[in-house]
Amino acid sequence: MMAPLAFAWRALVRQPARSTLAVLGVAAVGALLLDMLLLSEGLVLSMRELLDRMGFDVRVTAGDTLPGAGPEIADATAASAAIGALPGVRSVTAIRSEAADLHHRDRQADAAFIGVSGTPRVWTILRGRDPAGRGELVLNQYAAETLRLVPGAVVTVRAYCGDDDAAPPPVEFRVAGVAELPFDTPEAASAATFLGDLEEACGTPGAGRADFLAVTSTGDAAAAAAAITAARADLRAFTNDQLIGRVQQGGFTYFRQISTVLATITITFALLLITVLLTVSVNQRLGEIAALRALGFSQRRVVLDVLCEAALIVGTGGALSLPLGLVLAVWLDGILKRMPGIPTEMHFFVLEPQAFVVHGLLLAATALVAAAYPMRIVARLPIAATLRNEVIS
Amino acid sequence: MNHVVGSVNDTIVAADRITRVFPMPAGPVVAVRDVTLSIAPGEHIAIRGPSGCGKSTLLHMLGCVDAPSSGSLVFEGHDVAGLNDRARSLLRLRHIGFVFQRFFLLPMLTAAENVELPQAEAGVPAHARRRRSRELLEYVGLGARADHRPSQLSGGEMQRVAIARALANRPRLLLADEPTGELDQATGEHVAALLDRVNADGTALVVVTHDPVLAGRARRVLTMRDGRIEGEVRQ
Repeated sequence: MMAPLAFAWRALVRQPARSTLAVLGVAAVGALLLDMLLLSEGLVLSMRELLDRMGFDVRVTAGDTLPGAGPEIADATAASAAIGALPGVRSVTAIRSEAADLHHRDRQADAAFIGVSGTPRVWTILRGRDPAGRGELVLNQYAAETLRLVPGAVVTVRAYCGDDDAAPPPVEFRVAGVAELPFDTPEAASAATFLGDLEEACGTPGAGRADFLAVTSTGDAAAAAAAITAARADLRAFTNDQLIGRVQQGGFTYFRQISTVLATITITFALLLITVLLTVSVNQRLGEIAALRALGFSQRRVVLDVLCEAALIVGTGGALSLPLGLVLAVWLDGILKRMPGIPTEMHFFVLEPQAFVVHGLLLAATALVAAAYPMRIVARLPIAATLRNEVIS
Repeated sequence: MNHVVGSVNDTIVAADRITRVFPMPAGPVVAVRDVTLSIAPGEHIAIRGPSGCGKSTLLHMLGCVDAPSSGSLVFEGHDVAGLNDRARSLLRLRHIGFVFQRFFLLPMLTAAENVELPQAEAGVPAHARRRRSRELLEYVGLGARADHRPSQLSGGEMQRVAIARALANRPRLLLADEPTGELDQATGEHVAALLDRVNADGTALVVVTHDPVLAGRARRVLTMRDGRIEGEVRQ
């Protein structure tokens, strides 16, 4: 009962409305803080997970840009063969993406049309099977639903592969399966096939071009990337770590900046809230505190009582903020993912242990700083003058 | 604690020409001026005088919650001026009991818990302080109200709990600042009688009061005016 923490608990329970208000305020602020921390790294972590899940650990491009954002690799077939022969490389997959119209009976859908060479596959089959021979493709769920296609059906593909509007004649493909493709976006159709079939649909058979090469190393991605760069000085090889680094330097920094600003504001709000409530509480009890000091309570003890009150408010509010923050994160993630062009598998809020650790540390620091002023009041309380004033008042 | 300058046995506290000056915007105010006073074990002293004459300031200095601006104050052989805040706190905790006009019981604690507080601060084990609290509440006639909170007690009962709290660590000196100031006459009588009993049981008692009846119970009555002790009556 008499330990400072228990004593502080009694002091808080004594003012239930004020204490509840403080705890709820900290819970709301803590939830926002947690969400800001999850948001600051969420997209990067989500991107990292997506890259890792595809099974490749090195991407090779023709320029110094992110894969798919720069010039094509003109000799992708030769480059694949050369890179595949390197000792640290297990497999090479050339990937090319074009625009296409998909037609089935009277239904039509604009789609991303992806061609890949070799294995591993970049998609996950949901129904049906992988394309086994020429003239077969997989569709994503949205394309299959829009065109009402099932595995075994035939779909007509008109690819748009150049900078001009001229399109080669449409080509018929058999739907081998329905698959989940990486970087699929909601309500956007995608189709994927062998690179050779895509080239034929583009009217340029044997062109051997690719947006980028996806490489699986034998275990040391950095060494494989270095070997690729050494073997083909005209190409750039990026490990997943390097790609993530580039992403972080790019547009994703906005989220970190926004979350930093909002986190700072929320912490400041929490600081003010707790400081005001504790200061009011301490000021109302100055007579009692002076009496305790007169009875022999040490300065350290009465200061510790105030610190414990802050710790209890922030601790209880912080614990409540975790489920609240997680619910809020799921809700906000759903809203943000409605933005156009966001892949289905990408998330803005990603749970990571480090965010929870930082959340706890920030709240602990908030409790400490917020308690500083009321602790100072208590520490410097003139005992005799306070007792005299209490009688006069 | 250092600065031992006197005998522990013959005097609890000795003030030699102590003065307390409060700096104010309109100029310094001398609340206590050149007061020399010693309190022996078991004494019963009343300090009386008009409002603002310096009674409470003197009491606070004797209780080591305020420091003289000049002069020397020796408590149980320790020069109080040489003690830091921690040492003074410890001295108050172990040797001095305070009773306040406004009781200052902690409202979130029961009567027994209020009495336990100073013992807990002094490091008394839980079972010992519970036993001591019950004994003290029995002593002040509130054994049956041990589990009541201050809001469930009358003014007189609260002051009796405050007296029990002040006695919790067996102080040699009990200081009471207007202990009956907030009580009606009959209740004040009960509290005054209790303080007499505390003194009779061996605790030195200094009471600051306006009340001539309460002051009349003391064996030494000091009258203050303008910060000085104007007269002393022994009875």
